[in-house]
Amino acid sequence: MIARLLVRLIALAALVYLVLPLVVIIGTSLTETSYLAFPPQGFTLKWFGVLFNDPSYVSAFITSTLLALAATIVAVLLAVPASLALARYVFAGRAAVSSLLMSPLLLPYVVLGAALMQFGTTIGLVRSFEALLVGHVIIVTPFVLRSVLPLLTPEQRALEEASMDLGATPLATFFLVVLPQIRGGIVSGGLLAFISSWINVELSIFNTTAALNTIPVKMFNYVQYTIDPTIAAVSAITIVAAALVIILLDLLMGLDMLSERHR
Amino acid sequence: MIAPRTRLALLLFAPLAFFVAFFLTPMVVVAVSSVTADDGSLTAAHYARILLDQYHWDVLWVTFRIALATTAICMLIGFPLAWYLVRIVRWRAWRRTCVILIIVPLFTSNIVRSFGWMVLLGRTGLINQGLLGLGLTERPIRLLGTETGILIGMVYILMPFVVLSVGNALAKIDTAYEEASADLGVGPARTFWFVTLPLCLPGAVSGAIIVFALAVSAYVTPALLSGGQITVFSMLIFQQYSSVFDFHYGAALSVTLLVLTLILVTIAGRIGDGGRKAA
Repeated sequence: MIARLLVRLIALAALVYLVLPLVVIIGTSLTETSYLAFPPQGFTLKWFGVLFNDPSYVSAFITSTLLALAATIVAVLLAVPASLALARYVFAGRAAVSSLLMSPLLLPYVVLGAALMQFGTTIGLVRSFEALLVGHVIIVTPFVLRSVLPLLTPEQRALEEASMDLGATPLATFFLVVLPQIRGGIVSGGLLAFISSWINVELSIFNTTAALNTIPVKMFNYVQYTIDPTIAAVSAITIVAAALVIILLDLLMGLDMLSERHR
Repeated sequence: MIAPRTRLALLLFAPLAFFVAFFLTPMVVVAVSSVTADDGSLTAAHYARILLDQYHWDVLWVTFRIALATTAICMLIGFPLAWYLVRIVRWRAWRRTCVILIIVPLFTSNIVRSFGWMVLLGRTGLINQGLLGLGLTERPIRLLGTETGILIGMVYILMPFVVLSVGNALAKIDTAYEEASADLGVGPARTFWFVTLPLCLPGAVSGAIIVFALAVSAYVTPALLSGGQITVFSMLIFQQYSSVFDFHYGAALSVTLLVLTLILVTIAGRIGDGGRKAA
């Protein structure tokens, strides 16, 4: 009984710990003072106004979003055929291919960023949207792969064969049979990919410039010198956006993976 | 009809070409560059420089100390939280809310979350306000720029991984084992220790590995919460590439971090497998 109480206490404290910084940031973004104050003093949305009137923030928002979108699309285009190959065929080097495509998950991003920068300087792929894109595709592809691969089960394979036996072309089979069945995996993997790209600093930081900047890198450079409510406002926007995406994901596929009935 | 071999080749061509061109090749470039001198000849000088300089050993020690402590604290707090969510909470809506509360920080950038702690840990931040208000301290405690500050932020950022992997493992355990153990007259504590814990050990170990690997290579959180007072390994790499422009030396540092991480992750993986066999 005491153990149970203790677990409850630690769990509730941990939940407070997880939520506190986010609440503090959102609160701070509403303060009327020009320094960070929590609890906020007064209530104003002026810091959000400052952001939307600052072209450098607006362009960083646009760059981040376009980059994440492009990286996600390319990652889906690479990961879907790769997962079909890995799930459907037995071939020499299959394990090697799979670990090559998955290893960016375990590799330190700073190491990968440095490697891409060093390689990029030799082939002239630096400080450009393309240079950013290449790195982001590498780190987000495993997310799509990981959520599509488990859906390509033997049962799904049987339906595919039925479709082929009935005379559908491979292409028709793919679009009419396979794609609808892995759509959920593509959507959830794609959302994870999009977010991971949108929030990345370690990789982007090697290739951003004053003119070509992503939101997290801009914030990173900013908070090292000054902290004021504008930063809290940008942060608040990203927190609310993340929360909306999560709630969307939860409604789409149910994130309650911790329920016992799940097994 | 296209032959299976051709179809396989068609499927794998684009992903493999992309990964070889922009992932494998850059990593090989780094590995090669770490053992070459400016004139292109082979040398071990960069590694010798790392090994012989006491400063690097200090940075490595700080980095691993922070990573180990982060992993341990994440487990100590994350395990009870996972247990609470899987075994204690009965109300589905609340569990769902909790899961969302755990995942939202995961989907928010390290910058934002570290920034939150910069605000909380500052001299006039909420933590100091609280400590002063409760009379626990006479004057504000310095938390930013200390290892404690970094640890608070790192645990915060990495704990969700533990909760999710331990929680998933716990949710998969068939409670019949525990009931059987209880029916045979074994007390709850012994049942937990000899039945439940070994069964969720693989999940716990994989969570710990993720946390450790991410903690060793963390850059943003230590950079923001150290206030320039404490250097961790990834900062050395970044400095070499972005301000010193010594790519050979930076490459040697990268390879060192990579190899050390891989060794520790492999050892941890072995322990996890041992747990699986024991179960």
